[in-house]
Amino acid sequence: MDIARALRQSNPKLSRFDPMSRIIAFDDFDDGFCGWTQLVGNYEHTLDSMLPGYAQHTQPQLSNLANWDSGTHGAFDGNYALKIQTRPKKGAQNVALKRLTFREPGPIRLEFYFTFKPEATELRLSETDVRSVGFLYDLQTGFEKGGSRVMPHVRFLNASDGVHLQKWQTKSRTTAIKPLGTEGKTVTHYHLAPTDWEDLPGGEQKLCYNEIPTKVNWHYVRYDFDLRTMRALSLRCNDREWDISGVDPIVMPAMRNLWCMLNICFFAEADTDKRTLFYVDSVCLSGEFA
Amino acid sequence: MMRQCVTAVVSRNETWTGSAASEPYECGWAGEAIVWLRCLSAKGKLAAARARVQISPDGMRWVDEGTKLKFPAKEGALTHARIAHFGNFLRVVADLPKGASAKILFTLTLKE
Repeated sequence: MDIARALRQSNPKLSRFDPMSRIIAFDDFDDGFCGWTQLVGNYEHTLDSMLPGYAQHTQPQLSNLANWDSGTHGAFDGNYALKIQTRPKKGAQNVALKRLTFREPGPIRLEFYFTFKPEATELRLSETDVRSVGFLYDLQTGFEKGGSRVMPHVRFLNASDGVHLQKWQTKSRTTAIKPLGTEGKTVTHYHLAPTDWEDLPGGEQKLCYNEIPTKVNWHYVRYDFDLRTMRALSLRCNDREWDISGVDPIVMPAMRNLWCMLNICFFAEADTDKRTLFYVDSVCLSGEFA
Repeated sequence: MMRQCVTAVVSRNETWTGSAASEPYECGWAGEAIVWLRCLSAKGKLAAARARVQISPDGMRWVDEGTKLKFPAKEGALTHARIAHFGNFLRVVADLPKGASAKILFTLTLKE
């Protein structure tokens, strides 16, 4: 194992990550979208049946962070990052996700580098135009395990109604589950509703926003979760780490077609009528299994 | 290396009226694109509706690229245009007659 660690640490792309023993996915967006796509809401017979929160979603983009005043900023490494872009409306959201299943219900670690900015439509600092950026897992136990769907949510609440809050939050509840259509096979719920976010104790954190809306700095996140107990373990962002083992994820009864689901989502929310731009480069998902 | 090819659904079930525009889409990695407009449902007289492709240096300021495409004026209609040399940002705009509207699916097929 020391050899494996030495090999990882000598690889410039992986050396900035601290993965568990097995790398499940390593997504560098210079290689393309790597399986990251838009979260499309559920529907039956007509797209009109999709909840409005999902209907607003659009395709993620491969961005070189091009700016009107200073040209291409580039990504953490190479030229391209994954960009999740909201519509230019207060409260607008967008979600990108990668859909996997798991083979070993044990500890997993999500690591990624991120940055965010509002669209630079004004010559102002604009530090409160982004409401939040965040991530979540959408999980379900194996069929034989009886069954829960589990959705741990984490967001960095940057601002709300113009107040610069800069704190981490989690969520333990979703909206009521509603049937869709007429066939009795599809349901929906809106887990990214603005309600039910709770402050992570001690979760205030000042990030490096920089000094105009076209300069970005990349930040590191590490999130540990145990698929056996279906509970989070810890959250780290840059130089801060929190024990979040006491934080309850959203839990609901298992759904009929989602066994062993392991979906990872990134989401962005706007706090003003400007597009929020959430960039990720790159992502490493690892697990502890033989 | 195989060439990258990506389908991006930029506008899904959006109701377009008057002067409408898609969300901007950054795709400078692609050397060619096909712009697809599909009408999911239509209201009013859309025969005079027009659509065109726009490009941008920054995703915020837009000019006509020069390509025009038919607006899909009836439910189920699908129109397209092939473009290349478009820089980094693409969008489609349309002018619909007063009183008319259409639900649109706007798709980009992008290839290196």
